Amino acid sequence: MVILSILILNKAGGLIFQRDFNEGLKKLSSNDYLVLAGTFHGVHAITSRISPVRDSGGGLEVLESDRFRMQCFQTLTGTKFLIFAEPNQPNIDVVVKRVYELYADYVMKNPFYQIEMPIRCEAFERNLVAYIKPKQ
Amino acid sequence: MTIYSFYIFDRHCECIYVKQWHQRDRSFRPTSSASTVDSPVTLSSDQRSSTSSKLQNDVHPTGRGGRLSVQDDAKLVFGVVFSLRNMVRKLSGPDDSFISYRTGSYKLHYYETATNLKFVLLTDVKMNNLKVVLHQIYVNLYVEFVTKNPLSPIEHPGGEGVAVELFEMGLDSFIVNLRPHPPLRRIQTNLVLNREQYRIDIKVS
Repeated sequence: MVILSILILNKAGGLIFQRDFNEGLKKLSSNDYLVLAGTFHGVHAITSRISPVRDSGGGLEVLESDRFRMQCFQTLTGTKFLIFAEPNQPNIDVVVKRVYELYADYVMKNPFYQIEMPIRCEAFERNLVAYIKPKQ
Repeated sequence: MTIYSFYIFDRHCECIYVKQWHQRDRSFRPTSSASTVDSPVTLSSDQRSSTSSKLQNDVHPTGRGGRLSVQDDAKLVFGVVFSLRNMVRKLSGPDDSFISYRTGSYKLHYYETATNLKFVLLTDVKMNNLKVVLHQIYVNLYVEFVTKNPLSPIEHPGGEGVAVELFEMGLDSFIVNLRPHPPLRRIQTNLVLNREQYRIDIKVS
């Protein structure tokens, strides 16, 4: 499984978690990641607005480019999980679901975590890395 | 397999051509609510300049429920495409290119030429990658009928010289031909079934 990177955005479009797992995407400065998250938050809102059919089924879900494929999952509370994978990676849905579970278990159930703030939970990162094993 | 709309943006970030096939309901515009599935709505340059100011005033101020005019839609599409393209380039280098994105209800395909012309096609979610198709539209229709047209200006401010008859006809027939042929799989399964029955018959006898 080749997952390149995972970003988590809070409901206001602020970046609360970013981690690279494999080579493939360029390293950006933390400020650039914040800008990127904010931009994506806006774009996500617009994509549901420009839907040509009446019931816009939410915003952007999958983005494809030559080098990667990004899956965006928005929870009911507005938190967004962005998972960057290789273009032909199958079953990203499963990964997204599992990451959400880990988030629920190790971030939301952490009594010291302040909601909407950057995630600094060691257990979350440890379990995330264990699940998404970096390519050997 | 539905194709909703097609946009061309020039290198000055201006929408120079719009065509919509399956219109969503725009109740405030009598022209488009009257238009059925098979009558596409196109904005040529002269139409647009005369109607755009009126349309912009007609946009519903209500948030999610309000529908936008064709022009405002085009601006939003451009904004999305431009931001995503920059995002992709920032993340994985300047030679990577944004191909498409999908939401729950539609899919947007994108192709950019070396001269920064941007071709955008909105289809339903089941459509495969249409980058090749957009490239074909550029090479076989845009270059042939718009760029090579001696009467057409070099730049196309306000869509001038793009909505020519040949280009529109070509585009229409091209899009119609994109619709898939009837599937062959059902016939094949029938054949297999028949063969099995035949085999069973032989065994019995």
